[in-house]
Amino acid sequence: MSGMTSGGSEKKNGRIGNRIVGASFAAVLAVYTAGYSRTQSAANHLAAQVAERRAAVPAPERVTIHVPQLASPAPIPSRLLPAPAPLPEPTRKVAAASSVETPPAQSATKIDAPPAFVEPVRSDIFEPGVSAAQVIAPAIAAAPAVTVPPPQQPAKPTWKDGTYTGWGYSRHGNIEAAVVIEGGRILSANISQCRTRYSCDVIDKLIPQVAQRQSPDVDYVSGATQSADAFYGAVVEALSKAQ
Amino acid sequence: MSASARTVAVMGTLVTIEVVHPSIDSDEAVDRAFGWFHEIETRCTRFHESELTQLTSQAGVPVEASPILYEAVCFALMVAEESGGAFDPTVGHRMEGQGFNREHRSGEIFRTAISPENDVSYRDVLIDPGRRTILLRRPLTLDLGAVAKGLAVDTAARELAPFRDFAIDAGGDLYLGGSNEQGVPWSVGIRDPRDPQQLIDSLRISNQAVCTSGDYERRGHILDPRTKTSSHSVASATVVAPVAMLADALATAAFVLGPDEGIRLLTRLGVDGLIVTPELKRYETRGLCRAA
Repeated sequence: MSGMTSGGSEKKNGRIGNRIVGASFAAVLAVYTAGYSRTQSAANHLAAQVAERRAAVPAPERVTIHVPQLASPAPIPSRLLPAPAPLPEPTRKVAAASSVETPPAQSATKIDAPPAFVEPVRSDIFEPGVSAAQVIAPAIAAAPAVTVPPPQQPAKPTWKDGTYTGWGYSRHGNIEAAVVIEGGRILSANISQCRTRYSCDVIDKLIPQVAQRQSPDVDYVSGATQSADAFYGAVVEALSKAQ
Repeated sequence: MSASARTVAVMGTLVTIEVVHPSIDSDEAVDRAFGWFHEIETRCTRFHESELTQLTSQAGVPVEASPILYEAVCFALMVAEESGGAFDPTVGHRMEGQGFNREHRSGEIFRTAISPENDVSYRDVLIDPGRRTILLRRPLTLDLGAVAKGLAVDTAARELAPFRDFAIDAGGDLYLGGSNEQGVPWSVGIRDPRDPQQLIDSLRISNQAVCTSGDYERRGHILDPRTKTSSHSVASATVVAPVAMLADALATAAFVLGPDEGIRLLTRLGVDGLIVTPELKRYETRGLCRAA
Protein backbone atom coordinates (compact mmCIF):
# COMPACT_ATOMS: atom_id res chain seq x y z
CA MET A 1 0.00 0.00 0.00
CA SER A 2 1.27 3.36 -0.87
CA GLY A 3 1.25 5.94 1.83
CA MET A 4 0.76 8.82 -0.57
CA THR A 5 -2.47 10.68 -0.71
CA SER A 6 -4.32 11.62 -3.82
CA GLY A 7 -3.82 15.24 -3.03
CA GLY A 8 -0.08 14.97 -3.50
CA SER A 9 0.13 15.92 -7.11
CA GLU A 10 -2.30 18.77 -6.61
CA LYS A 11 0.03 20.49 -4.21
CA LYS A 12 2.94 20.24 -6.58
CA ASN A 13 0.99 21.58 -9.49
CA GLY A 14 -1.02 24.01 -7.54
CA ARG A 15 -1.95 26.65 -10.01
CA ILE A 16 -3.25 24.96 -13.09
CA GLY A 17 -4.58 22.00 -11.20
CA ASN A 18 -6.50 24.05 -8.73
CA ARG A 19 -7.86 26.16 -11.50
CA ILE A 20 -9.46 23.37 -13.46
CA VAL A 21 -10.60 21.50 -10.36
CA GLY A 22 -11.98 24.75 -8.95
CA ALA A 23 -13.74 25.55 -12.19
CA SER A 24 -15.27 22.09 -12.21
CA PHE A 25 -16.54 22.54 -8.68
CA ALA A 26 -17.97 25.90 -9.63
CA ALA A 27 -19.78 24.44 -12.62
CA VAL A 28 -21.36 21.70 -10.52
CA LEU A 29 -22.38 24.23 -7.92
CA ALA A 30 -23.89 26.53 -10.53
CA VAL A 31 -25.98 23.71 -11.92
CA TYR A 32 -26.94 22.47 -8.51
CA THR A 33 -28.04 25.85 -7.25
CA ALA A 34 -29.74 27.17 -10.34
CA GLY A 35 -31.14 23.84 -11.38
CA TYR A 36 -32.44 22.97 -8.04
CA SER A 37 -34.37 26.08 -7.26
CA ARG A 38 -35.97 25.59 -10.62
CA THR A 39 -36.57 21.97 -9.92
CA GLN A 40 -38.08 22.75 -6.59
CA SER A 41 -40.56 25.29 -7.83
CA ALA A 42 -41.59 23.14 -10.73
CA ALA A 43 -41.74 20.15 -8.45
CA ASN A 44 -44.18 21.88 -6.17
CA HIS A 45 -46.24 22.82 -9.15
CA LEU A 46 -46.26 19.35 -10.53
CA ALA A 47 -46.72 17.61 -7.22
CA ALA A 48 -49.89 19.54 -6.65
CA GLN A 49 -51.13 18.82 -10.14
CA VAL A 50 -50.43 15.16 -9.90
CA ALA A 51 -51.83 14.83 -6.42
CA GLU A 52 -54.97 16.52 -7.56
CA ARG A 53 -55.17 14.41 -10.63
CA ARG A 54 -54.25 11.10 -9.13
CA ALA A 55 -56.59 11.65 -6.27
CA ALA A 56 -59.43 11.35 -8.72
CA VAL A 57 -58.36 7.86 -9.60
CA PRO A 58 -59.56 5.16 -7.26
CA ALA A 59 -56.13 3.63 -7.35
CA PRO A 60 -55.46 0.64 -5.16
CA GLU A 61 -51.88 1.76 -4.77
CA ARG A 62 -50.71 4.61 -2.67
CA VAL A 63 -49.21 7.51 -4.45
CA THR A 64 -46.07 8.71 -2.79
CA ILE A 65 -44.72 11.96 -3.94
CA HIS A 66 -41.32 13.03 -2.82
CA VAL A 67 -40.78 16.69 -3.18
CA PRO A 68 -37.20 17.91 -2.99
CA GLN A 69 -36.00 20.05 -0.15
CA LEU A 70 -39.16 20.28 1.78
CA ALA A 71 -39.38 23.40 3.80
CA SER A 72 -41.90 21.74 6.05
CA PRO A 73 -42.11 18.04 5.50
CA ALA A 74 -45.50 17.70 7.07
CA PRO A 75 -48.14 16.32 4.75
CA ILE A 76 -50.89 18.76 4.01
CA PRO A 77 -54.43 17.63 3.59
CA SER A 78 -55.54 18.02 0.04
CA ARG A 79 -58.30 20.37 1.04
CA LEU A 80 -55.62 22.92 1.79
CA LEU A 81 -54.31 22.71 -1.71
CA PRO A 82 -55.23 25.62 -3.86
CA ALA A 83 -57.82 24.73 -6.39
CA PRO A 84 -55.98 25.13 -9.64
CA ALA A 85 -58.98 25.79 -11.77
CA PRO A 86 -62.69 25.55 -11.61
CA LEU A 87 -63.44 21.92 -11.08
CA PRO A 88 -66.92 21.63 -12.30
CA GLU A 89 -67.73 18.04 -11.67
CA PRO A 90 -68.20 16.83 -8.15
CA THR A 91 -66.60 13.43 -8.68
CA ARG A 92 -63.13 14.86 -8.61
CA LYS A 93 -63.72 16.73 -5.40
CA VAL A 94 -65.08 13.72 -3.68
CA ALA A 95 -62.20 11.63 -4.85
CA ALA A 96 -59.74 14.25 -3.79
CA ALA A 97 -61.16 14.29 -0.32
CA SER A 98 -60.95 10.55 -0.08
CA SER A 99 -57.28 10.64 -0.82
CA VAL A 100 -56.67 12.21 2.53
CA GLU A 101 -58.07 9.19 4.27
CA THR A 102 -56.77 6.49 2.00
CA PRO A 103 -53.06 6.53 2.52
CA PRO A 104 -51.73 5.22 5.79
CA ALA A 105 -49.74 7.69 7.76
CA GLN A 106 -46.17 6.64 7.05
CA SER A 107 -46.35 6.84 3.33
CA ALA A 108 -49.14 9.23 2.71
CA THR A 109 -49.33 11.51 -0.25
CA LYS A 110 -46.77 14.08 0.66
CA ILE A 111 -47.00 17.50 -0.77
CA ASP A 112 -44.83 20.44 -0.08
CA ALA A 113 -46.56 23.60 0.98
CA PRO A 114 -47.17 24.69 -2.52
CA PRO A 115 -47.03 28.03 -4.08
CA ALA A 116 -48.46 25.45 -6.36
CA PHE A 117 -49.90 27.39 -9.16
CA VAL A 118 -47.71 30.38 -9.13
CA GLU A 119 -46.04 31.26 -12.36
CA PRO A 120 -43.80 28.33 -13.18
CA VAL A 121 -40.15 29.10 -13.49
CA ARG A 122 -38.80 28.93 -16.97
CA SER A 123 -36.67 30.95 -19.27
CA ASP A 124 -37.60 32.25 -22.64
CA ILE A 125 -36.27 29.41 -24.64
CA PHE A 126 -36.58 25.72 -24.18
CA GLU A 127 -36.42 25.87 -20.46
CA PRO A 128 -39.08 23.57 -19.30
CA GLY A 129 -39.01 22.89 -15.64
CA VAL A 130 -38.82 19.26 -16.56
CA SER A 131 -36.78 18.99 -13.47
CA ALA A 132 -39.71 18.46 -11.31
CA ALA A 133 -41.11 15.63 -13.17
CA GLN A 134 -38.46 13.10 -12.65
CA VAL A 135 -38.56 13.59 -8.95
CA ILE A 136 -41.97 12.11 -8.79
CA ALA A 137 -41.54 9.98 -11.84
CA PRO A 138 -41.68 6.72 -9.96
CA ALA A 139 -45.08 7.68 -8.63
CA ILE A 140 -46.36 8.46 -12.06
CA ALA A 141 -44.92 5.33 -13.55
CA ALA A 142 -46.38 3.20 -10.83
CA ALA A 143 -49.83 4.61 -11.13
CA PRO A 144 -52.14 2.67 -13.36
CA ALA A 145 -53.17 4.26 -16.62
CA VAL A 146 -56.89 4.45 -16.47
CA THR A 147 -59.66 6.39 -18.00
CA VAL A 148 -61.41 8.93 -15.88
CA PRO A 149 -65.09 8.58 -16.50
CA PRO A 150 -66.40 11.76 -18.06
CA PRO A 151 -68.61 13.74 -15.77
CA GLN A 152 -72.29 13.06 -16.13
CA GLN A 153 -73.33 16.65 -16.58
CA PRO A 154 -70.90 19.37 -17.34
CA ALA A 155 -71.18 22.13 -14.79
CA LYS A 156 -71.22 25.73 -15.77
CA PRO A 157 -68.27 27.59 -14.43
CA THR A 158 -67.71 30.87 -16.10
CA TRP A 159 -64.41 32.20 -17.21
CA LYS A 160 -63.39 35.54 -18.55
CA ASP A 161 -63.43 35.67 -22.32
CA GLY A 162 -60.11 35.60 -24.09
CA THR A 163 -57.29 33.29 -25.03
CA TYR A 164 -55.12 31.97 -22.24
CA THR A 165 -52.04 29.86 -22.27
CA GLY A 166 -50.45 27.67 -19.65
CA TRP A 167 -47.64 25.17 -19.35
CA GLY A 168 -47.75 21.62 -18.12
CA TYR A 169 -44.70 19.65 -17.22
CA SER A 170 -43.50 16.11 -17.59
CA ARG A 171 -40.22 14.33 -17.44
CA HIS A 172 -40.31 13.95 -21.18
CA GLY A 173 -40.78 17.62 -21.83
CA ASN A 174 -43.46 20.23 -21.55
CA ILE A 175 -46.62 21.23 -23.26
CA GLU A 176 -48.17 24.64 -23.63
CA ALA A 177 -51.92 24.71 -24.03
CA ALA A 178 -53.95 27.61 -25.40
CA VAL A 179 -57.53 27.78 -24.24
CA VAL A 180 -60.09 30.04 -25.88
CA ILE A 181 -62.95 31.24 -23.68
CA GLU A 182 -66.02 32.72 -25.30
CA GLY A 183 -69.22 33.60 -23.53
CA GLY A 184 -67.72 32.31 -20.30
CA ARG A 185 -67.28 28.82 -21.70
CA ILE A 186 -64.39 26.90 -23.17
CA LEU A 187 -64.72 27.27 -26.90
CA SER A 188 -61.60 25.30 -27.71
CA ALA A 189 -58.30 24.10 -26.38
CA ASN A 190 -55.15 23.45 -28.33
CA ILE A 191 -51.58 22.45 -27.88
CA SER A 192 -49.73 25.62 -28.78
CA GLN A 193 -46.26 24.26 -28.10
CA CYS A 194 -45.22 20.66 -27.90
CA ARG A 195 -41.84 20.41 -26.26
CA THR A 196 -42.07 16.80 -25.28
CA ARG A 197 -39.55 14.25 -26.39
CA TYR A 198 -42.31 12.35 -28.13
CA SER A 199 -44.81 13.69 -30.59
CA CYS A 200 -47.92 15.23 -29.09
CA ASP A 201 -49.97 13.27 -31.62
CA VAL A 202 -50.37 10.57 -29.02
CA ILE A 203 -52.64 12.79 -27.00
CA ASP A 204 -54.54 14.32 -29.93
CA LYS A 205 -57.79 12.81 -28.84
CA LEU A 206 -57.60 14.57 -25.52
CA ILE A 207 -57.73 18.02 -27.07
CA PRO A 208 -61.45 18.18 -27.91
CA GLN A 209 -62.32 16.70 -24.51
CA VAL A 210 -61.52 19.99 -22.81
CA ALA A 211 -64.29 21.83 -24.64
CA GLN A 212 -66.66 18.86 -24.55
CA ARG A 213 -66.29 18.51 -20.81
CA GLN A 214 -65.77 22.19 -20.05
CA SER A 215 -63.01 20.99 -17.84
CA PRO A 216 -59.31 20.15 -17.85
CA ASP A 217 -60.23 16.60 -16.90
CA VAL A 218 -59.11 14.76 -19.95
CA ASP A 219 -58.65 11.02 -20.13
CA TYR A 220 -55.48 9.25 -19.24
CA VAL A 221 -53.66 7.70 -22.15
CA SER A 222 -51.97 4.41 -21.62
CA GLY A 223 -48.42 4.71 -22.80
CA ALA A 224 -48.60 8.48 -22.75
CA THR A 225 -49.56 9.19 -19.18
CA GLN A 226 -46.87 11.80 -18.83
CA SER A 227 -47.92 13.74 -21.90
CA ALA A 228 -51.53 13.51 -20.80
CA ASP A 229 -50.63 14.83 -17.38
CA ALA A 230 -48.62 17.62 -18.90
CA PHE A 231 -51.55 18.61 -21.11
CA TYR A 232 -53.89 18.49 -18.16
CA GLY A 233 -51.52 20.69 -16.16
CA ALA A 234 -51.22 23.12 -19.04
CA VAL A 235 -54.99 23.49 -19.36
CA VAL A 236 -55.33 23.90 -15.60
CA GLU A 237 -52.81 26.70 -15.65
CA ALA A 238 -54.41 28.38 -18.64
CA LEU A 239 -57.85 28.25 -17.01
CA SER A 240 -56.48 29.62 -13.78
CA LYS A 241 -55.60 32.78 -15.69
CA ALA A 242 -59.15 33.04 -16.99
CA GLN A 243 -60.73 33.33 -13.58
CA MET B 1 -29.31 -0.23 10.04
CA SER B 2 -27.14 -1.47 7.22
CA ALA B 3 -26.41 0.11 3.88
CA SER B 4 -29.15 0.36 1.30
CA ALA B 5 -28.62 0.50 -2.44
CA ARG B 6 -30.96 1.30 -5.28
CA THR B 7 -30.40 0.83 -9.00
CA VAL B 8 -32.12 2.69 -11.82
CA ALA B 9 -31.63 2.47 -15.58
CA VAL B 10 -30.86 5.95 -16.87
CA MET B 11 -28.46 7.62 -19.30
CA GLY B 12 -28.07 4.37 -21.19
CA THR B 13 -26.58 2.65 -18.21
CA LEU B 14 -27.41 1.31 -14.78
CA VAL B 15 -26.93 3.76 -11.96
CA THR B 16 -26.60 2.47 -8.41
CA ILE B 17 -26.65 4.67 -5.36
CA GLU B 18 -25.72 3.24 -2.01
CA VAL B 19 -26.02 5.04 1.30
CA VAL B 20 -24.09 3.44 4.13
CA HIS B 21 -26.28 4.69 6.97
CA PRO B 22 -29.71 5.03 5.40
CA SER B 23 -32.64 6.94 6.86
CA ILE B 24 -35.93 8.35 5.64
CA ASP B 25 -34.12 11.57 4.81
CA SER B 26 -31.51 9.76 2.82
CA ASP B 27 -34.21 7.92 0.87
CA GLU B 28 -35.56 11.26 -0.25
CA ALA B 29 -32.08 12.47 -1.08
CA VAL B 30 -31.54 9.38 -3.20
CA ASP B 31 -34.78 10.19 -5.06
CA ARG B 32 -33.47 13.66 -5.75
CA ALA B 33 -30.10 12.27 -6.73
CA PHE B 34 -31.73 10.05 -9.35
CA GLY B 35 -33.77 13.08 -10.32
CA TRP B 36 -30.60 14.78 -11.42
CA PHE B 37 -29.73 11.90 -13.71
CA HIS B 38 -33.08 12.15 -15.44
CA GLU B 39 -32.96 15.91 -15.60
CA ILE B 40 -29.49 16.07 -17.07
CA GLU B 41 -30.20 13.25 -19.51
CA THR B 42 -33.33 15.02 -20.68
CA ARG B 43 -31.31 18.08 -21.58
CA CYS B 44 -28.02 16.71 -22.77
CA THR B 45 -28.77 13.53 -24.69
CA ARG B 46 -28.04 13.42 -28.40
CA PHE B 47 -30.20 10.33 -28.82
CA HIS B 48 -33.54 12.05 -28.48
CA GLU B 49 -35.03 15.46 -28.99
CA SER B 50 -33.45 17.45 -26.18
CA GLU B 51 -32.26 20.90 -25.38
CA LEU B 52 -28.93 19.79 -26.80
CA THR B 53 -30.40 18.65 -30.11
CA GLN B 54 -32.37 21.90 -30.31
CA LEU B 55 -29.10 23.76 -29.91
CA THR B 56 -27.31 21.74 -32.56
CA SER B 57 -30.13 22.31 -35.01
CA GLN B 58 -29.52 26.07 -34.86
CA ALA B 59 -25.99 26.64 -36.11
CA GLY B 60 -25.07 30.26 -36.62
CA VAL B 61 -27.49 31.60 -34.03
CA PRO B 62 -26.67 32.34 -30.39
CA VAL B 63 -28.97 30.15 -28.36
CA GLU B 64 -29.83 30.84 -24.75
CA ALA B 65 -29.15 27.78 -22.65
CA SER B 66 -30.39 26.39 -19.35
CA PRO B 67 -27.81 26.32 -16.55
CA ILE B 68 -27.27 22.60 -17.08
CA LEU B 69 -26.54 22.81 -20.77
CA TYR B 70 -24.57 26.02 -20.44
CA GLU B 71 -22.30 24.75 -17.69
CA ALA B 72 -21.85 21.37 -19.37
CA VAL B 73 -20.78 23.03 -22.62
CA CYS B 74 -18.50 25.54 -20.88
CA PHE B 75 -16.87 22.76 -18.94
CA ALA B 76 -16.39 20.62 -22.04
CA LEU B 77 -14.75 23.54 -23.83
CA MET B 78 -12.48 24.20 -20.88
CA VAL B 79 -11.23 20.61 -20.84
CA ALA B 80 -10.90 20.66 -24.63
CA GLU B 81 -8.71 23.74 -24.33
CA GLU B 82 -6.63 22.32 -21.48
CA SER B 83 -6.10 19.01 -23.25
CA GLY B 84 -5.16 20.60 -26.56
CA GLY B 85 -8.23 19.09 -28.20
CA ALA B 86 -7.58 15.53 -27.03
CA PHE B 87 -10.98 15.81 -25.42
CA ASP B 88 -13.39 17.42 -27.88
CA PRO B 89 -17.18 17.46 -27.48
CA THR B 90 -17.69 18.02 -31.20
CA VAL B 91 -16.65 14.49 -32.14
CA GLY B 92 -20.33 13.54 -31.95
CA HIS B 93 -21.00 13.33 -35.64
CA ARG B 94 -17.92 11.31 -36.36
CA MET B 95 -19.02 8.86 -33.74
CA GLU B 96 -22.30 8.50 -35.57
CA GLY B 97 -20.34 7.96 -38.76
CA GLN B 98 -18.51 5.08 -37.15
CA GLY B 99 -21.64 3.42 -35.97
CA PHE B 100 -21.92 4.89 -32.50
CA ASN B 101 -25.39 6.07 -33.09
CA ARG B 102 -27.33 3.53 -31.14
CA GLU B 103 -29.03 4.41 -27.93
CA HIS B 104 -27.76 1.75 -25.54
CA ARG B 105 -31.01 0.99 -23.82
CA SER B 106 -33.58 1.06 -26.59
CA GLY B 107 -31.28 0.03 -29.41
CA GLU B 108 -32.85 2.85 -31.40
CA ILE B 109 -30.69 4.17 -34.22
CA PHE B 110 -30.25 7.89 -34.14
CA ARG B 111 -28.84 10.11 -36.82
CA THR B 112 -28.63 13.85 -37.01
CA ALA B 113 -30.08 15.54 -40.03
CA ILE B 114 -27.15 17.89 -40.35
CA SER B 115 -24.00 16.94 -42.15
CA PRO B 116 -21.19 18.84 -40.53
CA GLU B 117 -17.95 19.43 -42.29
CA ASN B 118 -15.35 17.00 -41.18
CA ASP B 119 -12.96 19.53 -39.70
CA VAL B 120 -15.23 20.99 -37.04
CA SER B 121 -13.73 21.25 -33.58
CA TYR B 122 -14.52 22.66 -30.19
CA ARG B 123 -13.28 26.01 -31.48
CA ASP B 124 -16.48 26.23 -33.49
CA VAL B 125 -18.47 26.46 -30.26
CA LEU B 126 -18.60 29.95 -28.81
CA ILE B 127 -19.87 30.99 -25.43
CA ASP B 128 -21.22 34.39 -24.42
CA PRO B 129 -20.94 34.41 -20.63
CA GLY B 130 -22.84 37.71 -20.35
CA ARG B 131 -25.91 36.51 -22.17
CA ARG B 132 -25.33 32.85 -21.32
CA THR B 133 -25.77 31.86 -24.91
CA ILE B 134 -24.05 29.21 -26.99
CA LEU B 135 -23.24 29.77 -30.63
CA LEU B 136 -22.26 27.01 -33.03
CA ARG B 137 -20.32 28.65 -35.80
CA ARG B 138 -20.92 25.71 -38.11
CA PRO B 139 -23.33 22.80 -38.11
CA LEU B 140 -21.95 20.20 -35.74
CA THR B 141 -22.99 17.56 -33.27
CA LEU B 142 -22.10 18.07 -29.66
CA ASP B 143 -21.49 14.92 -27.68
CA LEU B 144 -21.86 15.72 -24.01
CA GLY B 145 -22.26 12.08 -23.00
CA ALA B 146 -19.26 11.85 -20.73
CA VAL B 147 -19.68 15.34 -19.29
CA ALA B 148 -23.39 14.85 -18.70
CA LYS B 149 -22.92 11.58 -16.87
CA GLY B 150 -20.16 13.09 -14.76
CA LEU B 151 -22.26 16.15 -14.01
CA ALA B 152 -25.15 13.95 -12.94
CA VAL B 153 -22.86 12.03 -10.60
CA ASP B 154 -21.56 15.30 -9.16
CA THR B 155 -24.95 16.85 -8.57
CA ALA B 156 -26.17 13.58 -7.10
CA ALA B 157 -23.13 13.58 -4.81
CA ARG B 158 -24.09 17.04 -3.61
CA GLU B 159 -27.54 15.76 -2.72
CA LEU B 160 -26.01 12.95 -0.71
CA ALA B 161 -23.25 14.98 0.93
CA PRO B 162 -25.16 15.34 4.23
CA PHE B 163 -25.12 11.55 4.60
CA ARG B 164 -21.32 11.50 4.33
CA ASP B 165 -20.80 7.83 3.51
CA PHE B 166 -22.21 6.84 0.14
CA ALA B 167 -21.32 5.46 -3.26
CA ILE B 168 -22.61 6.36 -6.70
CA ASP B 169 -21.89 4.03 -9.59
CA ALA B 170 -23.01 5.26 -13.00
CA GLY B 171 -21.87 2.55 -15.37
CA GLY B 172 -18.33 2.57 -14.07
CA ASP B 173 -18.17 6.28 -13.30
CA LEU B 174 -17.89 6.27 -9.55
CA TYR B 175 -18.10 8.79 -6.78
CA LEU B 176 -17.27 7.55 -3.30
CA GLY B 177 -18.25 9.67 -0.34
CA GLY B 178 -16.63 9.14 3.06
CA SER B 179 -16.11 5.54 4.07
CA ASN B 180 -17.58 2.13 3.40
CA GLU B 181 -19.57 0.00 5.82
CA GLN B 182 -16.40 -1.06 7.59
CA GLY B 183 -15.61 2.55 8.31
CA VAL B 184 -12.57 2.72 6.04
CA PRO B 185 -12.15 4.60 2.74
CA TRP B 186 -13.68 2.80 -0.21
CA SER B 187 -11.55 0.40 -2.15
CA VAL B 188 -12.09 0.61 -5.91
CA GLY B 189 -10.92 -2.15 -8.19
CA ILE B 190 -9.60 -1.27 -11.61
CA ARG B 191 -10.49 -3.92 -14.13
CA ASP B 192 -7.85 -5.71 -16.13
CA PRO B 193 -8.66 -4.40 -19.62
CA ARG B 194 -7.98 -7.81 -21.13
CA ASP B 195 -9.59 -10.03 -18.53
CA PRO B 196 -12.95 -9.00 -17.12
CA GLN B 197 -12.56 -11.42 -14.22
CA GLN B 198 -9.36 -9.86 -12.94
CA LEU B 199 -8.50 -6.60 -11.28
CA ILE B 200 -5.32 -4.97 -12.36
CA ASP B 201 -5.22 -2.65 -9.39
CA SER B 202 -7.13 -1.42 -6.40
CA LEU B 203 -7.36 2.20 -5.29
CA ARG B 204 -8.20 3.74 -1.94
CA ILE B 205 -10.79 6.47 -2.47
CA SER B 206 -12.67 8.88 -0.23
CA ASN B 207 -14.66 11.91 -1.40
CA GLN B 208 -13.34 11.51 -4.91
CA ALA B 209 -14.61 10.33 -8.26
CA VAL B 210 -13.03 7.55 -10.28
CA CYS B 211 -13.67 7.14 -13.98
CA THR B 212 -12.17 4.68 -16.41
CA SER B 213 -12.18 4.92 -20.19
CA GLY B 214 -11.53 1.52 -21.63
CA ASP B 215 -11.28 0.04 -25.10
CA TYR B 216 -13.01 -3.11 -23.94
CA GLU B 217 -16.61 -2.01 -23.51
CA ARG B 218 -17.17 -0.82 -27.02
CA ARG B 219 -13.94 -1.18 -28.86
CA GLY B 220 -12.79 2.00 -30.49
CA HIS B 221 -15.49 4.17 -29.01
CA ILE B 222 -13.01 6.84 -28.11
CA LEU B 223 -11.87 8.77 -31.13
CA ASP B 224 -8.83 10.94 -31.27
CA PRO B 225 -10.35 14.24 -32.34
CA ARG B 226 -7.05 15.27 -33.81
CA THR B 227 -6.63 12.28 -36.12
CA LYS B 228 -10.30 11.22 -36.31
CA THR B 229 -9.41 7.62 -35.67
CA SER B 230 -9.70 5.36 -32.68
CA SER B 231 -6.82 5.43 -30.27
CA HIS B 232 -4.84 2.24 -29.84
CA SER B 233 -1.94 2.93 -27.47
CA VAL B 234 -4.08 2.73 -24.34
CA ALA B 235 -6.27 -0.13 -23.15
CA SER B 236 -7.69 1.78 -20.23
CA ALA B 237 -7.22 5.16 -18.58
CA THR B 238 -8.45 5.72 -15.03
CA VAL B 239 -8.63 9.16 -13.44
CA VAL B 240 -9.21 10.04 -9.79
CA ALA B 241 -10.48 13.59 -9.24
CA PRO B 242 -12.69 15.44 -6.77
CA VAL B 243 -15.27 16.02 -9.53
CA ALA B 244 -16.67 13.14 -11.61
CA MET B 245 -17.23 15.34 -14.65
CA LEU B 246 -13.54 16.18 -14.63
CA ALA B 247 -12.45 12.59 -13.99
CA ASP B 248 -14.54 11.36 -16.90
CA ALA B 249 -13.41 14.01 -19.38
CA LEU B 250 -9.77 13.61 -18.42
CA ALA B 251 -9.99 9.82 -18.64
CA THR B 252 -11.09 10.30 -22.24
CA ALA B 253 -8.32 12.82 -22.87
CA ALA B 254 -5.66 10.58 -21.29
CA PHE B 255 -6.91 7.66 -23.35
CA VAL B 256 -6.53 9.67 -26.52
CA LEU B 257 -3.16 11.19 -25.62
CA GLY B 258 -1.48 7.89 -24.82
CA PRO B 259 0.50 6.87 -21.74
CA ASP B 260 3.26 9.47 -21.56
CA GLU B 261 1.38 12.52 -22.65
CA GLY B 262 -1.67 11.37 -20.73
CA ILE B 263 0.17 11.13 -17.43
CA ARG B 264 1.78 14.51 -18.11
CA LEU B 265 -1.62 16.11 -18.62
CA LEU B 266 -3.07 14.59 -15.44
CA THR B 267 -0.05 15.67 -13.43
CA ARG B 268 -0.20 19.18 -14.84
CA LEU B 269 -3.90 19.47 -14.00
CA GLY B 270 -3.39 18.16 -10.48
CA VAL B 271 -5.38 14.94 -10.65
CA ASP B 272 -4.27 11.34 -10.32
CA GLY B 273 -4.55 8.54 -12.79
CA LEU B 274 -3.50 5.13 -14.01
CA ILE B 275 -3.05 4.32 -17.68
CA VAL B 276 -2.77 0.71 -18.85
CA THR B 277 -1.52 -0.16 -22.33
CA PRO B 278 -2.76 -3.07 -24.42
CA GLU B 279 0.38 -4.92 -23.28
CA LEU B 280 -0.73 -4.24 -19.69
CA LYS B 281 2.12 -1.89 -18.99
CA ARG B 282 1.13 0.63 -16.33
CA TYR B 283 1.74 4.35 -16.16
CA GLU B 284 0.57 6.33 -13.18
CA THR B 285 0.75 9.69 -11.47
CA ARG B 286 2.83 9.90 -8.33
CA GLY B 287 -0.07 10.65 -6.05
CA LEU B 288 -2.12 7.56 -6.88
CA CYS B 289 -3.32 5.99 -3.64
CA ARG B 290 -3.55 2.19 -3.68
CA ALA B 291 -5.64 0.07 -1.43
CA ALA B 292 -3.70 -2.39 0.68
